Amino acid sequence: MSEPTGVIHDIGYQRYTGPRLGRRHVFGAMYIHGVRTAFGLGRSAKAKIFPWLVVGIVLMVAAAVTAIRSQIGEVVMTYAQFADAMSWLVIFFVAVAAPELVSRDLRSGVLPLYFSRPVPQADYPLAKLLALITALFLLLGAPQLLMFLGGAFTADGMGAVWDELLDLLPGLLYAGLWAVVFASVGLLVASMTGKRAFAAGGIVAVFLMTTPIVGILSVLPSQAANQLSGIASPPTLVQGVGIWAMRDLLITDLAEGAGPDLGPYGPVYALAAVALVAGCVALLLARYKKVAAR
Amino acid sequence: MSTVTWITARGLFGRRRFLLLLPLPLLLVGLAVLARGLAVAPADWGPPVLVGLGLAVVLPVVALIVGTGVLGAEIDDGTVVHVLTTPLPRWQIVLPKLAVAAGVTAVTVAVPLFAAGLLADSARLGLSLAVAASAGALAYSALFVAASLLTRRPVLLGLVYVLIWEGLLSNVIGGTRVLSIQHYVIALADRLAPTDLLGTTVTAPVAAVMTTLIIVGATLLAIDRLRSFSVAGETS
Repeated sequence: MSEPTGVIHDIGYQRYTGPRLGRRHVFGAMYIHGVRTAFGLGRSAKAKIFPWLVVGIVLMVAAAVTAIRSQIGEVVMTYAQFADAMSWLVIFFVAVAAPELVSRDLRSGVLPLYFSRPVPQADYPLAKLLALITALFLLLGAPQLLMFLGGAFTADGMGAVWDELLDLLPGLLYAGLWAVVFASVGLLVASMTGKRAFAAGGIVAVFLMTTPIVGILSVLPSQAANQLSGIASPPTLVQGVGIWAMRDLLITDLAEGAGPDLGPYGPVYALAAVALVAGCVALLLARYKKVAAR
Repeated sequence: MSTVTWITARGLFGRRRFLLLLPLPLLLVGLAVLARGLAVAPADWGPPVLVGLGLAVVLPVVALIVGTGVLGAEIDDGTVVHVLTTPLPRWQIVLPKLAVAAGVTAVTVAVPLFAAGLLADSARLGLSLAVAASAGALAYSALFVAASLLTRRPVLLGLVYVLIWEGLLSNVIGGTRVLSIQHYVIALADRLAPTDLLGTTVTAPVAAVMTTLIIVGATLLAIDRLRSFSVAGETS
């Protein structure tokens, strides 16, 4: 019987001695990863099909609008109207991107890994929300930029370019409003379920089933109900805020009574939009408080 | 009633999330009752509720959730293997699942549509809407069951069809209505009970033939795809 000859091998475990980057960098990493996920970057080709289908369609529409304007001189839609015209595609993009951002993590149970890092609980949903807002803003803003470039290069003189720019900026602001409202509602719905399929269906159901309510409210015999009808549905709510803030840019049809009539309720629309976003974010944070506690 | 039917029905109703299907039909009836109670003219509220909500949203969305749920959910979590390894011919798997999906969709959609049609015009309009919606439910279900065998992301593919093809294109380019189940349903309902609440450019015979073609074609496609189905893990 020989002596036991046990050896502890040094297999190279080391402590991390580099700089610890802290909360801001964690947030930044989650945000960048979120934006890339929304467009399927860094993922397989299959994950890119649906986001880039939507991007392709909006860019194609923008190119067509630009081409028509430079060839025939007819303004098909202003920058601000572009977001309204693309509302179905925005809904579809939210239904594609929001489940990718949050439902996958819920399904595969990686949230405890996130929360075992020194990440404040609210940072995870906020980073995802910010990522979705950015993705939607890029989706609506990039085509407008394309239209602007087309307009700027066919304009004569710097003054005309400056006028274009003044038209573009409210359009971009309006796109930002669309992005904030749709991202907060969509992400809240998606965070309810770990199944991407159900999340996508739920998002579309929420956005589409509210639209006919507006149709009903706008034919009720009460004038106040008609003028407030747009609040019932996210797309018309955003549109209402836009019309209140910049009527000339959204409604180019000069006929009397064109577009929805808000009456004196414009500020109510703005308040409702703020309340909707605030409510959705609050519910989202509450939801992640519950999920993280598990 | 075969075992597959039983398993499928239990898979749909056994979870709490089936309750998520209820708000859509309730909203449909609620809006109809509200509009009727406030004495709004049917010509004003009929099109947005019956077509805008009922046929354009409730029918396709319910069919999408149920249709991809009966087979797609099992493929997603891998339990489809248990059904596939039984010595059943593939059509005996697809047909019961399709029947459950179409039945559930038809009941969920046809009942509120009947109520809304009754409130809008007459029992005849209600009945015709219910019948047409049931035919539409079968067509949509066949399409979405086939879609869940063609791709791993059937819901998104279904949404492309419902939102972009039926929602966006058929309003802009009238010609695509010839390939839109929504317009077949409108055409069939309009044929069974002619009113001025429903209107489309597709004729009833075309709608009937195309609906049948879609149902048969999609079912055969689903059976064929299930025949050479390969079980794979979740990718990307």
